[in-house]
Amino acid sequence: MEIRSNPVAQAYAANRPATAPDPNLDTSNTFGQVASGFIETLKQSEQTAMSSMSGGADPHALVQALAQTELAVETAVTVRDKLVEAYQEILRMPV
Amino acid sequence: MADFSDAMNITASGMRAQAARLRHVSENIANADTPGYHRKTISFASVVEAGQSIGQVETGRVRLDRSALDQVHDPSHPMADANGNYDGSNVNLLIEIADAREAQRSYEANLKLFDQVRQMSTSLMDLLRR
Repeated sequence: MEIRSNPVAQAYAANRPATAPDPNLDTSNTFGQVASGFIETLKQSEQTAMSSMSGGADPHALVQALAQTELAVETAVTVRDKLVEAYQEILRMPV
Repeated sequence: MADFSDAMNITASGMRAQAARLRHVSENIANADTPGYHRKTISFASVVEAGQSIGQVETGRVRLDRSALDQVHDPSHPMADANGNYDGSNVNLLIEIADAREAQRSYEANLKLFDQVRQMSTSLMDLLRR
């Protein structure tokens, strides 16, 4: 009689690599683009705010950059809240 | 979100262009009594990037209005010629005030649109939040 370990544990071990982070993943996918665009917007807005305080940039550029940052931060925060909410919904599931 | 940020860039470029226009109008009004001053006009052009228009507006070169200068009769003026006339400026205050008002209206329209774009994007995000 063949003795084998629990098939559920085997299946679990076989499926684990699917959830491991991929270090070779390129950031050209959609979410990576969104994140790098967000960082770029923040950087640009900070630069504009600094140069505006020192008298370099015109006020239109400042208002434009700050409004775009507000938009980007709002989007990021809303998407994050939605993701966390979905995750908590899964955690609350009775097993 | 690219459309929203594009719209913001375009309206901001419109506001910048109208501010530049107002700057030259105020220069003309300030120099209305300067002898020999030609009024300055500014042209608008659409911004072209990589061979195609991106919808933004920019101000072009400043040109001088070449119409004849106003002849002012004042024999006591140090620049007066034999007939007692000297060259004034060719600034017409009525035209300048009308131009300034037009710039103001156009600026207001761009500002309104900027605010509307912001409100639209905010209410789109509000939809996700509830």
